[in-house]
Amino acid sequence: MGELRVERLKKHYPARRGSGHRTGLRVFDDVTFTVGEGEFVSVIGASGCGKTTVLNLAAGLDTPSGGSIFVDGRAVTGPGLDRGIVFQEFALFPWLTVAENIAFGLKSMRVPGEQRKRTVAHIVDLVGLKQFADYYPNRLSGGMRQRVGLGRALAINPSVLLMDEPFGALDSVTREAMQNALAEIWIETRKTVLFITHDIREAVFLSDRVLLLAGRPSQIVLDLPIDLPRPRGRHDASFQEKERNLEVALRGGSSQTGDSGEAPAPREKTVSH
Amino acid sequence: MNQSGYMAKSPTDDDLEPPAWRRLAKDAYYVLIPIVVVLVFWQMFAKMSGISPVLFPPLENIWNALVHTATEGTLWADLGGTFLRLFKAVAAGSVIGTIIGALMGYFRDWERAFVGPLNFLLAIPGTALFPLTMIWFGLTEMAILSILIYEVSLTVMANTWSGVKSIDVSLIRAARAFGANGASMFWRVLLPSAMPSIISGYRLAFSRAWRIVIIAEMLVSVSAGLGYRLFWAREFFQTEIVYATLLTIGITGLLFERLVLRSAEAMTVNRWGTVRELE
Repeated sequence: MGELRVERLKKHYPARRGSGHRTGLRVFDDVTFTVGEGEFVSVIGASGCGKTTVLNLAAGLDTPSGGSIFVDGRAVTGPGLDRGIVFQEFALFPWLTVAENIAFGLKSMRVPGEQRKRTVAHIVDLVGLKQFADYYPNRLSGGMRQRVGLGRALAINPSVLLMDEPFGALDSVTREAMQNALAEIWIETRKTVLFITHDIREAVFLSDRVLLLAGRPSQIVLDLPIDLPRPRGRHDASFQEKERNLEVALRGGSSQTGDSGEAPAPREKTVSH
Repeated sequence: MNQSGYMAKSPTDDDLEPPAWRRLAKDAYYVLIPIVVVLVFWQMFAKMSGISPVLFPPLENIWNALVHTATEGTLWADLGGTFLRLFKAVAAGSVIGTIIGALMGYFRDWERAFVGPLNFLLAIPGTALFPLTMIWFGLTEMAILSILIYEVSLTVMANTWSGVKSIDVSLIRAARAFGANGASMFWRVLLPSAMPSIISGYRLAFSRAWRIVIIAEMLVSVSAGLGYRLFWAREFFQTEIVYATLLTIGITGLLFERLVLRSAEAMTVNRWGTVRELE
């Protein structure tokens, strides 16, 4: 179990007086893709292209203007424990310890105490925080905090794991370490993952497929399979070739919007004049 | 400032700090010196200035008064009376304040309905209501309690409201994503995350109530209480009892605020690393 299907997804923001969007904003009109069971799919794109919006819609934290999202065939109508979300800003509960943070979703599911303890112990181990289970998040480094975030999402054993630029707030060394850790955890758990990032190398390193979101309103302009064997070496020639392909596509994608082909997305394109 | 977040990988750093007793001893040293100096000057002034001991009694008179009221039992009755009033008011007031404040922080409609009255009432010092409560309740316990409850509940309400309102939106999103909603959102997320602010509201409320209760006991004749004792000691010109009571008020107020309220705050604020100034 664990298929995420996004069908003709549409998100518009209505015009609002006093804000910049006097005539409304069309983020995307028609985004369709499927993340198969056990597949790791990344969505990349320039900032402001709506990739995080896609994830929020899939998470049920935002409502689409049209289209639908299905998790294992069930339509998404709001947040639910069939999806585990990892936030860019960690969003850990500071009054709970590492173990309690990880147990948060299990408590919502009313998993009985003994079983909950066992699951938490397993997850704490999986994300490499065994000695830190009783720490409060403020004593952890950024990388460790996001391990807790990942653990909290994995603990509920979700059909789909949704990750919103989870390593975006980390320094480059920690970021690579976290990518390695996630790659290992993914091989172990084989979760269905939708991963949002703006980092091409990160996408190539982790994904089975990379979707490129571009344009305004944006759409999926490229669906690139990454059929490299795992574990992947970031310095392999085949890896770097994939990176180059994506980089060219990313540049090309964003230049379609600008009139001159240079300026990256001048202002929001409007619905009508 | 919170530096501990960065030192996560070396929790053993704590071991390098000097042992607690040594820091305490050092603190006591710095606290004691000025006290001793003040006492010495007090005694010299009382003995040598020629001012009547009725106005400025020497230390032994104050000490004797203290011992006398303690053995006689009035000291304990006064302390008990004042603190009982305070606890009743703080208990009732903080329940009212926390509930309404939390509802104001969480629901737009509650906020709209209460924010005007709250700001208006906050502008009226509790003590200004004495004439009114005296008319309503007479010179009774209730005349005091109603004002204390008024002051405590408003103070707690304002702090709880702002605490719940200033919750990081990403925490609410995360809580929703992980299955919290309605009542469980309130108990599992809103309340704990507003806790530092709520507790500092309790602290503030206590120190306001502490001031008010002393005044109240002077105005309203009750059987026992520190303010009541001050008032009657003045009536009978027992200056050393006035001083002894002032000393008691200072020491108990300080101890309570340090030992009970401070530690409650430290437990949440320090442990969770919620950055909020303690002073």
